[in-house]
Amino acid sequence: MKKRKFWSLAGGICFSFLFVFVSITFDFAYGAPETIKVGASVSLTGRFAAGGVDVADGYKMAVKHINEDGGIYVKEFGKKIPLEVIIYDDESDPNKTVTRLEKLYSLDKVVAYLGGFSSAMNTAGLAMGEKNKVPWVGVTIAAESVFSQGFKYTFAPCMFSFMEVTAFFDAFDSLPKDKRPKKIANFQLQSDWGIECGKYLKKYGAERGYEIALVQKYAKSTSDFSSLIMAAKTAGCDAVFSVPTPPQSMTLIKQMKELAYAPAATCFIRGPDLSNYWEVMGENANYIITCGEWTADMKYPGNKKLVDAYQEKKPGKIIGMQVGCGYGALQILADAIERAGSLDRKAIRDALTKTDFTTVRGHVTFDERGIGQVPYSLCQWQNGKLEVVINPDYTTAPVLLAPAWDKR
Amino acid sequence: MRFFQKKMVIPALIVAFLFFLPLFFKGEYYLNMLCTLFLYVILSQSWNILGGYTGQINVGQAAFFGIGALVTRLLWTSGIPFVPALLGGGLSSVILSLLIGIPALRLRGHYFAIGTLSVAWIALITIENIFPGVTFLPGKYVATYSLLPRYYAFLIILLSAVIVISLAVHSRMGLAMESIRDDEEAAQAAGVNIFKYKVIAFAISSFFAGLAGGGFSFFHVSYYWSMPFALMWCFEPILITFIGGVGTIWGPIIGSLCYVALKESFALTMGEINVLIFGAVFIFIILFFPKGIIGIPEKIREHLTKRMGTNVGRDVLGKSQP
Repeated sequence: MKKRKFWSLAGGICFSFLFVFVSITFDFAYGAPETIKVGASVSLTGRFAAGGVDVADGYKMAVKHINEDGGIYVKEFGKKIPLEVIIYDDESDPNKTVTRLEKLYSLDKVVAYLGGFSSAMNTAGLAMGEKNKVPWVGVTIAAESVFSQGFKYTFAPCMFSFMEVTAFFDAFDSLPKDKRPKKIANFQLQSDWGIECGKYLKKYGAERGYEIALVQKYAKSTSDFSSLIMAAKTAGCDAVFSVPTPPQSMTLIKQMKELAYAPAATCFIRGPDLSNYWEVMGENANYIITCGEWTADMKYPGNKKLVDAYQEKKPGKIIGMQVGCGYGALQILADAIERAGSLDRKAIRDALTKTDFTTVRGHVTFDERGIGQVPYSLCQWQNGKLEVVINPDYTTAPVLLAPAWDKR
Repeated sequence: MRFFQKKMVIPALIVAFLFFLPLFFKGEYYLNMLCTLFLYVILSQSWNILGGYTGQINVGQAAFFGIGALVTRLLWTSGIPFVPALLGGGLSSVILSLLIGIPALRLRGHYFAIGTLSVAWIALITIENIFPGVTFLPGKYVATYSLLPRYYAFLIILLSAVIVISLAVHSRMGLAMESIRDDEEAAQAAGVNIFKYKVIAFAISSFFAGLAGGGFSFFHVSYYWSMPFALMWCFEPILITFIGGVGTIWGPIIGSLCYVALKESFALTMGEINVLIFGAVFIFIILFFPKGIIGIPEKIREHLTKRMGTNVGRDVLGKSQP
């Protein structure tokens, strides 16, 4: 009799536990969304489309790989939820960036924003992140001043002006002392980024023993650089630093060649980093140093998988730098969502501030302004290939000094 | 008078609907879209009074839009209330238009168009050099940012633009403007002070372009100072006005509606190909409906009348023959 009573009691307790467990599990599963929605407004058409398409490709690749593993584990729901990235074309118009991000916020209910390609679009976009209190993770933004507004929801795992200039001097320091360029010309683009780089060139140049012998300013719409080039040639500058727009980076090189100005080092942070630069410029691109935020050769975890998947999807196409940057940005966001354990935007924002994660482009943390602490990296065009010449983790080739134009 | 009252019923209903819309409808995306729509209507209306009614093709609207945005933003963020700041933006555009218009309006046809385009280029390069950075709203403004005041600001500017331009073109001044557009020499011979009316039309046009710029600066939390000076602001109002119907009050409204709504739906549903499709639609309208969308009913009526007329002719001919 006693035995029967015991088994009845034990059965009752087990049933109660099972009931509670099933109820909780059912309740959690019931409350989980089908997908985790993140949104981006990217320039897929218009003047910034070349880079925008690469950024979007990076996002799509990252989503594919994350979802192949079942999605992102969200503790709040006790399971993995697939990721969904909604990408709208802003037509290279910042007005449309605002409208698209508003749509993503109010209709699509995204939990986070991802950045677009150009600074003009990103400037409009990151402000929307702050206004709507939606975490914004940018891809291509380099002006430090933008991150000095006290914004709390904006993050950019990119190389900023001070990192680019540091890497530029690191490149010179990697050369034998007697071969290092001595006089540097700064062709200063009149943009916040260009001016910031100018400020750091002066500061770090003085600290590291390099002379900024010439500063020549130009606007975003300038297309004739002959006066700048002649001034640099006359001043005997053996290195040039600039952050031109992509078309300007091509015009500048052509005009430098026409005017027979061949400095030993030419560093254009923007422009030569685009995947089609060699196709357009051919041999003239040789020896040009540029930003090296990401390359297909990088040995960071997951990079090979990205490159293989891209080449399978787009055989024969050179993979652009922004593909890796876009991929890395989404990896950072996915990591933050997982650590937040919730789809609450503030929780994701808080998790982003504590990012300490290695992406396909290297290790990333954020400072209190949301500026990414990423590996400082520069590449150089060497016989049709972008070689990594400066990077704290590895290089694929040494920095080469350029000979005269007729000897290239 | 009764006819006038009848004509006002539909616009009054639309205005009443737009005024009360945000009270019942809270979708931020749609309010955002409406703000963008209103911005394009104001800008294209402002282009239309000079280009559509007076025949002076201004390809430099970005300069006036941009200066309005610049002055409004500077005044507003320095602590001046938005309305005086906005008026300051509009007036600064008028001043710029007078400085440029007095010499430039002596040019005719293509020369005036090239002259105004040059002004827009000069303004863009100058601003890029003087203000190379980004303008951010101060933190307190970002914290209290709401779309509603932006929506009503745009709506009020739009209504003012439509009313002022409508009154202007339906007055004696409007007759003078249209006579200049149709035949400048004949208008001069008939005693119209063509230079005076051109300057007035340019000033009104610039004032509303400046107000549109002010609205832009009120709407955006952050943007590059040079963004409102970008050349897209020169060409988009022209495109919109031609799509809707040049030289009409409804043209820029319908054009903006099509431009914003069509482009939005194409961009959201068709991906990169939307540019091609939109381009094809634009070419189709220009080729087959040179008076714009607003001219389509007239075109259809003309076509039907022509066909009916031909048929009537055939019947008469048929009957006359044994």
